[in-house]
Amino acid sequence: MASKHQENRFAAYSTPIILAAILLALVLLVVAFGDKALARTAAETLIRVTLVVGLWIFVGNSGVISFGHAGYMAVGAYCSAWFTLRPQMKSLFLPDLPGWLLEAQWPVLPAAIAAGLLAAAVALLSGAAILRLSGIAASIATFAFLAIINTVYSNWEGVTGATSSVVGLPRYVDHWVALAWAVTAILAANIYANSASGLALRATREDEVAARASGINMYRHRLLSLVISGFFTGVSGALLGHSIGVLNPDSFYLGITFISLAMLVVGGIGSLSGAVIGVIVLSTVIELLVRAEQGFAIGSAEFALPSGSQEILIGLIMVLVLILRPSGLSAGREFKLRLKLPHKTLANEQIPSNRGEIK
Amino acid sequence: MTNFAQLFFDAASLGGLYAMAALGIALIFGVMNLVNFAHGEYIAFCVFALIVPSTDAVAVMFLGRAPAVLLVPLILVIGGMIAVASEYAVFRHLRNADPVAMMISSFALGFVIRNVLLATYGGRPKAISLWPELNTPVQIAGASVPLLQVIVILTTLLVVAALAFLLKKTRLGLEMRAAAENFTMARLLGVRANVVITGAFALSGALAAAVALIMATQTGVADVRMGGQIMLVAFIATVIGGLGSLPGAVAAGFLIGGVSVLLQAFLPLEARPFRDAFLYTLVIACLLLRPQGLFVPASAKPRV
Amino acid sequence: MKKLAYAAVLAALALPAWAEDDITVGFAIAQSGWMEAYDTPAVTAARIRIEEINASGGLLGRQIAWVEADTKTDRDQSARAGLQVIDEGADMMVVSCDYDFGAPAALSAEAQGMVSFFLCAEDVKAGIQGVGPNAFSGSVLAAVQGATMAEWSHATREARTGYVLLDTTIEYNKGICTGFDWMFPTLDGTEIVGRDTFKNGDASIASQITRIKALEQEPDVIMLCSYIPGAASAVRQIRAAGINSLILNGSAVDGSYWLDAAPNLSGFAVPVQGSIYGDDPRPEVEAFNAAYEAATGARPASQYAYPGYVLIDLWAKAVERAGTLDGAAVTAELEQMQNEPTAFGPRTFTSELHHQNSAEMQIVEITDGSPAVVGSWTISQPVPLDVLLR
Repeated sequence: MASKHQENRFAAYSTPIILAAILLALVLLVVAFGDKALARTAAETLIRVTLVVGLWIFVGNSGVISFGHAGYMAVGAYCSAWFTLRPQMKSLFLPDLPGWLLEAQWPVLPAAIAAGLLAAAVALLSGAAILRLSGIAASIATFAFLAIINTVYSNWEGVTGATSSVVGLPRYVDHWVALAWAVTAILAANIYANSASGLALRATREDEVAARASGINMYRHRLLSLVISGFFTGVSGALLGHSIGVLNPDSFYLGITFISLAMLVVGGIGSLSGAVIGVIVLSTVIELLVRAEQGFAIGSAEFALPSGSQEILIGLIMVLVLILRPSGLSAGREFKLRLKLPHKTLANEQIPSNRGEIK
Repeated sequence: MTNFAQLFFDAASLGGLYAMAALGIALIFGVMNLVNFAHGEYIAFCVFALIVPSTDAVAVMFLGRAPAVLLVPLILVIGGMIAVASEYAVFRHLRNADPVAMMISSFALGFVIRNVLLATYGGRPKAISLWPELNTPVQIAGASVPLLQVIVILTTLLVVAALAFLLKKTRLGLEMRAAAENFTMARLLGVRANVVITGAFALSGALAAAVALIMATQTGVADVRMGGQIMLVAFIATVIGGLGSLPGAVAAGFLIGGVSVLLQAFLPLEARPFRDAFLYTLVIACLLLRPQGLFVPASAKPRV
Repeated sequence: MKKLAYAAVLAALALPAWAEDDITVGFAIAQSGWMEAYDTPAVTAARIRIEEINASGGLLGRQIAWVEADTKTDRDQSARAGLQVIDEGADMMVVSCDYDFGAPAALSAEAQGMVSFFLCAEDVKAGIQGVGPNAFSGSVLAAVQGATMAEWSHATREARTGYVLLDTTIEYNKGICTGFDWMFPTLDGTEIVGRDTFKNGDASIASQITRIKALEQEPDVIMLCSYIPGAASAVRQIRAAGINSLILNGSAVDGSYWLDAAPNLSGFAVPVQGSIYGDDPRPEVEAFNAAYEAATGARPASQYAYPGYVLIDLWAKAVERAGTLDGAAVTAELEQMQNEPTAFGPRTFTSELHHQNSAEMQIVEITDGSPAVVGSWTISQPVPLDVLLR
């Protein structure tokens, strides 16, 4: 029995190794091509992996849909900007920052960690109020939180520059930096999901009442997962800012909220592998469609999709995937390595589905 | 700013608009637990149906040229049709799916509609001259109120009354209410699921069309993004009102409209740009005080 | 036009050696998404100037070719589009109209030391301050537009009381109001009698209108700092409420395409770089309008085509003078330009500012629903840098 348990533990912890290997293989493939625009696409995809995995830590384990994570992204992105911008730039554009922050010019890594910590702190505060709710009321409250952050950051002239973009962020985030953070996020997500708190939280996701009756303090576990989730979401915001080079509150509103949720749901909300697969698959399809819009050759003939068709097609593809596989591409399963031959076919973490398996 | 009659009409007309949009969302949520994020795009679609499809800067009226007696029913039917079509093409296949998957598909569907509109009509907002005479002010109780505001308030009341009649007095209404209470049970008792759901979508789409007509008349422009803001407010109103509760959705719609107008009127200038932050803080406070919404439908009580 | 450009891109993709001798202009611009409507006219105008230059012997004895990449009105995609046109051998980059959507691409150009031009950005950040030493804008700063309207309305319409209605949605609007707020109070006997804010997407601005109506006396002018669709909707609601003040706005609402939103509008004035209505006092402007119509089958829908023409014109002159395509050398020549004549009035760049902080603007007023040039105005002093950075 003990060996069976150890086998399961090993299998559970093998997931991040497989996911990291997939991401590394993708980056190596892109480097082999040596195309600047493609390398950028890879960096963006990996930033999205960090974001969606961060989102999954809360949404996947608790089952509560959050519309508020773009808010934590904004908090992280601006925080990193405050720490890394040149002081004379800040005194010009963000004069109301406190004196010590105006003077600060940190290296990028501590700034990214500070960004994550501030976002985690905001997650703690907002979560303390919002997570007293559950179900759709909690989701709406997270949306209200996003709208509040967006309104405040869009109008707080001296601190965030309001609608005027914050400029001059060092663009240090390339595919390697993004890969490092994406792998860190995946590791953290896996460790949390397999911790006592993560398991307890997933019990509440499956049956709130039964879990409570078993003595699980749902509020505390949800809050903990939101804080960890907030950290990585904040970091992903910082990475996005340092990859584009310009910050505007508009980048962290409904657009990114829905695309990140869509990637999560299309990949499969029930598993970490699903979160990563969702990002990779949708990002790849988007990139292929964008290239198809620019024109491609089959034999001697040139084809091109009309401008704007990429958006329409990606929407249709998402609808189609959800109709065919309502629990997402991964259907709640994880990539796992088995030491010995498994006694059961695959460890299911969610409602079993007979529609097929990804491995 | 002491003219309370003026304030009342400003608040009631904005609230009425929100209430109608919220009803459209609550109707569908009631029968199939779907938060329909494509509702805002139904609104935009109906507005664009008024003009000839073209990417030229100058808009040429298309359906908008028809006289009001024809135009109003026509647009309502178009709204109903796009909603029913989207049910048929997408949501029908997701009946047994997780609500989250349905919500994300509705978002994806909205994304498709928005981008089709962008590709057909171009990104530049279009001007629409729809019933400009409705904007002439009339004097009521010492306030100068554009005729349209009065019409909005009256229309909302009319729509609510008509819906109440439909739900209470007709077979379809009875079935819808039963479905909203407990869909599985209702089906077992012989409620025609497809009829009910199609009916709810048709009504919801018609409500979106009504909102579209009002917005087009009020603002005089058509823009692909115009439905988004109002859909979000309506979504919030639906939850505050108590999900699945139609009177709750209406009441919460009026409440949000009213609070929004009051904030705009009484906040000091420096705080006014933060209006929405205050509004949404109140939303969170309201949810914390009454997590099940202002009007709790029996079906929303947790069954253990 | 689009097809032609498309063919050019395909040719560039298929035969990389084809562009060997040509100078390449890289357009990282929106070909889809809502920004497309603003970028395409300016890009068309830029190409008209490129073709004129090619027809008269080219630049440095070489022909100018172009490559394009679509930003899809998306910031991430913009950065990628910038890198893509660099990969395809661009010698200078033209980026999207709006600062936010153009800057990610322009930053990539800056990293290569390449000159970049925003098609029509009017925020001071779209230049040295927000991108780097080699970034320029082809348009006129928003603050200049607001200041122009303040001084013009005071001088020719006896405007003494002003009301400021600011749409806080985007930075451009704030720029217009900044210019108005800087200029208007310095004029004789003027007073700003009230202010209010709204958001572009607001379904109704009834309570803002109620506030204006509560004033003891209707203001002489309402400075409306907004853009379409919010601006059209605001004008419709203001006039419907029976407020007859002269309404001022920035160039963003130029064009007659939105006038159906406010039927029989009168007393509405905007500053423009040139008139699209065929009544510009300068024949060059009408010649351009004709060339634009010949190229696209329609006249420009708004003045925002013009900056595209101007920027290629100025850049080509600077390249000719520098005798090289090198970014730093071309920038140095551009910064030497003092009142450099163009078809749309003189342009100046300095080592501090790659924008126009003063410009000759035509005033277009709408009377009974038809727009016409009613005069021309240049502000008495340029908008100072500290006001622009406020």
